[in-house]
Amino acid sequence: MTVFYLPKDKFVGWLSGLNGGTVFAPAATALGSWVRRFESDTDEPPALDKPRAAQSTKGFFLPPAETIARYGPDAGSVAIAEGRNVLVGVRACELKAWKYLDKVMLEGDFDDPAYRARRENAVIISCDCADCAETCCCVLVDGRPYVEEGDGADINVTTLEDGYLVEPMTDKGVELLGGEFSEASSEQLTARQRIRDAMVERLKTQNADFTFNATDANPPDLPLDDDKSWQRHSADCVECGACTNICPTCHCFYLFDHELAVGSNERVRAWDSCLLSTYHRMAGGENMKISPRPELRSRLANRILHKFVYSPQQYGMLGCVGCGRCVDACPGAIDIRKVVEDLSK
Amino acid sequence: MNPENPYEPEPAEIIEVIDETPMIKTLALKPTSPYQFKAGQFAQLTLPGVGEGPFTPSSSPLEPERIEITILKTGILTDGIHECQAGQTLGLRGPFGKGYPVDKLDDKEVLIVGGGVGLAPLRALIYALLARLERVKRVSIKYGARDTSELLYKRQYDEWAGTKKVDFTCTIDRPEPGWDGNVGVVTTLLENIDVDRPNCIAFVCGPGIMLKFVTQALMEEGLTPEQIYLSMNRRMSCGMGKCGRCNIGPYYLCKDGPDMQYSLIKDYPNVF
Repeated sequence: MTVFYLPKDKFVGWLSGLNGGTVFAPAATALGSWVRRFESDTDEPPALDKPRAAQSTKGFFLPPAETIARYGPDAGSVAIAEGRNVLVGVRACELKAWKYLDKVMLEGDFDDPAYRARRENAVIISCDCADCAETCCCVLVDGRPYVEEGDGADINVTTLEDGYLVEPMTDKGVELLGGEFSEASSEQLTARQRIRDAMVERLKTQNADFTFNATDANPPDLPLDDDKSWQRHSADCVECGACTNICPTCHCFYLFDHELAVGSNERVRAWDSCLLSTYHRMAGGENMKISPRPELRSRLANRILHKFVYSPQQYGMLGCVGCGRCVDACPGAIDIRKVVEDLSK
Repeated sequence: MNPENPYEPEPAEIIEVIDETPMIKTLALKPTSPYQFKAGQFAQLTLPGVGEGPFTPSSSPLEPERIEITILKTGILTDGIHECQAGQTLGLRGPFGKGYPVDKLDDKEVLIVGGGVGLAPLRALIYALLARLERVKRVSIKYGARDTSELLYKRQYDEWAGTKKVDFTCTIDRPEPGWDGNVGVVTTLLENIDVDRPNCIAFVCGPGIMLKFVTQALMEEGLTPEQIYLSMNRRMSCGMGKCGRCNIGPYYLCKDGPDMQYSLIKDYPNVF
């Protein structure tokens, strides 16, 4: 679609004037950028020129914990639709993660109404990466640091030196952009291409030590979880679950129930982590095998095999989008890139 | 199940509690709406305020208005369920999973192998097959339990054994006064087994160790991994292939199972 040019002040004015939703955008902090509520009285632009935010936006659609049902004669029901969120500064890797989560949560025999309502209500204003974290590695998993039509954004933004290129990608995006903005010049479009090419080059350079090139159709060949070589990496794992919490595609959850009052119970859905020893634990006593993966080694292996081997079979997509967040988050300095590089056959 | 929220259990009243063995009870439930399930599909059964667990109904899929679920007392949830009385209300979600491939059993010899409480889901299969006996070639039921007190559904053995095209054999692990039947683990019933091997499909349910040795025995008898269906159970929470915890390799047992063709899973570790 047509690409528009907005100088800085006009861009911020347009963002703060967005109606009909709560706007969230990355803000620069000493600890990197964090997604925060974008206040409408600001003249500070969001941190689109910084690397991707430290935490993913997965929690907007799959919150860390939520009441997913109420039951019992006096329980009433749970309202699942929420207000509209406008998410600004979403990166290409995260759009890919949402495509993956959509397959998990919405395809197959059972729909997930809570996830669907939030997903369909959201407006996505993505941006091209103008900078990257040291751990960013989308280029190793067939990703790219910029957004194209069909990726799942309503509007995409590219940061230029003196302003922004804004490209609506859906009808919702066209409607939202509104206003009379000038079309981007061919020089500006060339500048955008230059920025994109430079980012790709930079990502390739910073990942030059890794030789694997994983795609949905050609995922890496990794050993199964009984292979002792996983031990080399699980030795550094402290079972904290940071990688799964921070990961934009990790979606494991657990349902647990509470009695709220006589005749009224709630069911809570909360994030869970496949690294934790309790994750697979079943009922049973002595002489019964209560976990299929009692060793940490096989749990770590299962997580990485799910990303790189099982997901392509289950969903036709790799489960890793190369955002590098798990590498940043791991207190044991486990680097998923090194694990895949080391163990690929 | 509530079509607007698959996480919300539908009330189901307990209409009867049957003591099967010292550790196993069968609850008969009257669901709010008929619970249409295929044999082998499972329900998430809610004990209000405590939680839920996956159980495959042991009753006939042709009777969706009275669901029977046979439960071994083995943890927090099942301890609580064993305390329940007729008249109490539990919750049901589902049915989930693929169910047994009953419609692919025409002209087949069906071999059903159960261990302990593992006969429960298989009983739903037996009911489904009894309702279409004219289409299958034969049904052989082999069942083992530790001792006579742990034999499930004793009241039905004579009826099964007396049905044309059906045979029923059971065994207990150790000799016992007053027992003149077979003694030995269930695999002893599979030696030189009298079935038309290339035309046989086996369905196995029981504890992990039993699945392992039965699979081994069936392979030694000449069955292929494609002919063996194992009831695989892992911790399951959502039942819909979303919560992630019940995988064997790329298969979610809740969605792709819980009865899995052995050929699909045999190369993954930790199957048994």
